[in-house]
Amino acid sequence: MADVATIIPMQTAGAPPKLSRLGAWTERHFKWVLVAPAVGLILGLSIYPLLFSLVVSFINYDFQVPGHAFVGLRNFKLVVFDPVARWSLVLTAFLSGTSVIIEFVLGLLAALAMVKSFRGRSIVMSILIVPLFISPVIVGQAWTLLLQRPFGPTNYVLSQLLGHEVTISWLTQAPWLYISLIAADVWQWTPFMFVILLAGLTSIPQNLYEAAELDGVSAWLAFRAITLPYLMPMILLALTFRLLDAIRMFDTIFIMTGGGPGTQSYTASYYLYTVGFTQFHLSQATAGSWLFLIFTAIVVTLLVRRLLKPEAV
Amino acid sequence: MNDRERRDFEAGLAQEVDAFLRSESTRRTFITRFGQMTGLLAVSGSALTAVTDWALAQQAAELADPSTPLGQAQALALKASQEGPKDGSAFRAVEAAKQFSGVTLNLTYEAGLQALDPRNFSGPMWEQLTGIKSAVVELSNPDMYSKPVAEHIANSGAYDVLDISPAWTPSLADGGVIAPLDDYIAKYMNKADLDDYHPLYKALPTYKGKIWGFFDDGDMFALYYRKDIFEDPKLKEAYQAKFNAELAPPKTWDEYNRIAQFITDQLAPNVYGAGHFRKAGSPGNQFDFLQQFRASGGKLFDDSMKAGIASDAGLKTLQSMIASNAASIPGNNELDAVSLWAAFLTGKVAMIYSWPPTGRMAANYSQSAKAINFIPQSQIAGKVGYAVVPGNPEHATGFNKALAAGSSNLEAAYLYMQWVTSPPVSLARVMLPYALRDPYRLSHFKSELYAGLFPSAKEYLYNLNNSANVGLLDPIMPGAQDYFLSIDRMCTEVWAGGDPDAALKTAAAEMNATTERLGVDSQKAFYAEFLKLPGATADNTVEKLGMAVKLD
Repeated sequence: MADVATIIPMQTAGAPPKLSRLGAWTERHFKWVLVAPAVGLILGLSIYPLLFSLVVSFINYDFQVPGHAFVGLRNFKLVVFDPVARWSLVLTAFLSGTSVIIEFVLGLLAALAMVKSFRGRSIVMSILIVPLFISPVIVGQAWTLLLQRPFGPTNYVLSQLLGHEVTISWLTQAPWLYISLIAADVWQWTPFMFVILLAGLTSIPQNLYEAAELDGVSAWLAFRAITLPYLMPMILLALTFRLLDAIRMFDTIFIMTGGGPGTQSYTASYYLYTVGFTQFHLSQATAGSWLFLIFTAIVVTLLVRRLLKPEAV
Repeated sequence: MNDRERRDFEAGLAQEVDAFLRSESTRRTFITRFGQMTGLLAVSGSALTAVTDWALAQQAAELADPSTPLGQAQALALKASQEGPKDGSAFRAVEAAKQFSGVTLNLTYEAGLQALDPRNFSGPMWEQLTGIKSAVVELSNPDMYSKPVAEHIANSGAYDVLDISPAWTPSLADGGVIAPLDDYIAKYMNKADLDDYHPLYKALPTYKGKIWGFFDDGDMFALYYRKDIFEDPKLKEAYQAKFNAELAPPKTWDEYNRIAQFITDQLAPNVYGAGHFRKAGSPGNQFDFLQQFRASGGKLFDDSMKAGIASDAGLKTLQSMIASNAASIPGNNELDAVSLWAAFLTGKVAMIYSWPPTGRMAANYSQSAKAINFIPQSQIAGKVGYAVVPGNPEHATGFNKALAAGSSNLEAAYLYMQWVTSPPVSLARVMLPYALRDPYRLSHFKSELYAGLFPSAKEYLYNLNNSANVGLLDPIMPGAQDYFLSIDRMCTEVWAGGDPDAALKTAAAEMNATTERLGVDSQKAFYAEFLKLPGATADNTVEKLGMAVKLD
C-alpha cells in the first residue's frame, strides 16, 4: 500500500499539467502561433500592398482627380504610349548594362591582383571597399561637387593635364552626363564585384594551378581553362545581384542631373518617381511599376536559370 | 492552493527547471517572455512618449538679444499677444485659445530650415501663451501635398495646420482636405489685419469667393546687383561709349542681357555679368520662363484651354533666356539656387534674380545663425543694390497656412494660424535669420525694426514691396506641377542644344495632355478662377489694377 501511495503521486507529477482552454488551444496550435507574427507581417507589409497596388493600377488614384473610378487598362496605356517611359526603359538598360560590365571587368582585375598575398594587402583591400559603405546620395553629391561647373575641379585638372582649356558640362550635356553617371556608379559598386569575385578566386583549389604549371600551361590558358570555369558561378551570382540593383538606379540621378537635361537622364525608377511623387499620378506610377516589375522579372528569371544551370549538371 | 494545484504547479516547475538547466526554453516560458516583451514595448512606448513630451515642454522659445532689432520685434510680439491692443488679432487669438490648453496641434512644415521657426520660436511661444502644444511634422515639398491628401482619404485627422503651396489650394479645397476660414475670421480676426497684407498676397488664398488660408511667405523674385560694378566710372564710361546708354539696373530683358554680356566681356574671369539657377529640377527654369513669357504678352492658355507657350512670346522668351545663359558664369546651366547664391556671395557674379533671402545673405545677416552657416560668408556685403526684375517679377511659390478639414481641433488650429500670421508675430518670424520666411505684410515692408537688421534693409524691403506691385503669381490650379515640369524639361532640353521651337511644341503638347487628363472644362473653370486674382497676368498686376502701395 505504501508503495502504491508512493507511485501515485509520482505518476501524477509526471502527467502534463492541466491547462486553461486558451493554454490548451495554444498547445495544440503552437507551431501556428510561432509563425503567425511573421505571416502577419508578410501579409500586412508585402502581400496586401502588392494586391492593393494591383487594384490601384486599374482605378483612378490621382491626388489631383477626385474619386477612384475603375479605368481598366488606361493607366497601363498611359505608360506604354508615353515616349518618356519608353526612353527611360532604354536608358535603364543602357546605364545598368554598361555600368555592370565595367564594374565586372574592373572588379575581376582587382580581384586577380589581390588574390595573392603581399605586404599591405589588407590596407589596400580596406581602401578598395570603402565606397561600398557610402550612401548613394552622398556618392552623387560628391561626384556633383567634383564635376559641377564652375566650382568642380575636374575641368581645371583636365585643362592642366591637356594643356588647353577644358569646358565640359559633365552634368548637363550628352554624352558627358552618361559618362558621369556611369563613373559614379562604377566607383561605388566595383568593390562589390571585387569582393564576390575575390571570394570565388580564393576557393579555387591551388593544386590545379600547380598541375597546370608542371604541364607548362601558360597563364592565359590557365585563366581560361581553370579560373573562368571555376569562377563562373560566382560571376553569374555577382552579375545577377549587381544588375538587379543597377536597374533601380535613382539616387545618383536625382542628385547629379535631376533627370535632365529634358528627360535625357530619366531611368525607369526616376520616371516612376516623377509621375508618382512630383505629378501625383499614383495609379499611373503604380501601373508603370507593374510593367517594370514584369520586365525585371524576365531578366532575373533568365539570369537565375543560367545561375542554377551548373548545379543541375 | 489544494493538493492537485500544488502538484500541477510542481510538475510544471520541474519542467521549467529542467529546461532551464538544459538551457532550453519551454513553450510556456517562450509565451510568457513574448508577452512580457510585448508588454514592455507597450509600456516603454508610452513612457517614451511621456519623456518626449516632457523634454519638448522644457524647450522655451529661443529669443534673440533684447537689444537687437530681432529681440525687440520678438518682445513686441509677446507683448501684443499678452497685453494687446485688445482688438489685435494676436491678442484675440491667444485669449480665445486658452480654453484649448493641453491639446497638441500637428503642423506640417517643409523639412529643414523652414521648420526651425515653429520648433525654436513660434511653437514654444504659442505654448507658453496658451498651453497648446505643437508638433512639427517635417515633410519634403511634394509630400506637403500628397501626405495631407492621403491622410484625408484615410480620415486619420493626422494634421491640424498645413503649410501648402498656393497652387494646391483649388485641389485641396475641392477635395475637402482644407476648410474655409471665413466664419472663423468673422468671429476672431481684426479685419484691419487682413488689409495689412500686400494687395498681391491678400487675395491669393481666395478661391470661389472663400478664404482658404493665410498667406505666409512673400517669395517675390527681385534683382540683386553689384552697386560697386554698376557705379564704376570706367565701366560706366565704356558702357556709355558702346551703347549710348547709362549703365544702370536693367528695365527690360534686352537691357539685362546686354549689360550681363558687357560685364562678362569686361571683367571675366573675375566677375561674370549674371548667373541663374538652371539645373533640371531646380525651379529656376519654370519661374524665369513664366515671368518673361507673361511679361512678353504670352498667354498660358487660350480660350479653349490649349497651351499658349508654343507662340512668338514663347520663342522670344527662350531666345532671351539663351542669351542670358551665354552672358553668364560658366556652368550657369548646372547651378541650383544654393550654388547660385554661392557664386553671387563670393563675388563671381554681378546680377542675379532670386528669392528674398538673397538680400539677407548678401548682407551676411542670415549667416549669423548657425543653422544656415553652410552658405558662404558674403564677400559683397554693403555692395549690393536692389531693383525690380525687368518686366514683371515672379512670385515664386510662397506658402499658405491652411486649416486641415479633418483636424479634431479645428478652432484651436485656426487660432494658431491667426496668431502666427498676425502682424506682430509674423514680423518677428520673417526677421529670423534662418527661417526662410519672407516679408509679405505692409507692416513688414514699413517696419523700422526690420530696417535695422542690416544697413540697406530699408531699400531691400521697399524693393520687395515695389516688386510685388508688378509681380506675377504662379498659376494656382490643379496640374500646376505638371505644367511646371513640362516647362522645366523644355528649358533644360534647349540649354543642352535642343531646338527651341520643337521644345516649345513638345512642352505645349505635354501641357495639353495634362489638361485633357484633368478635364478640359474643369481646368478651364480653375483657370478662370485664377485669372480673377491680382497678378495672374501682366495686364492685371496690382499696379495696373490701381491697388499698388508705393514705397520710396
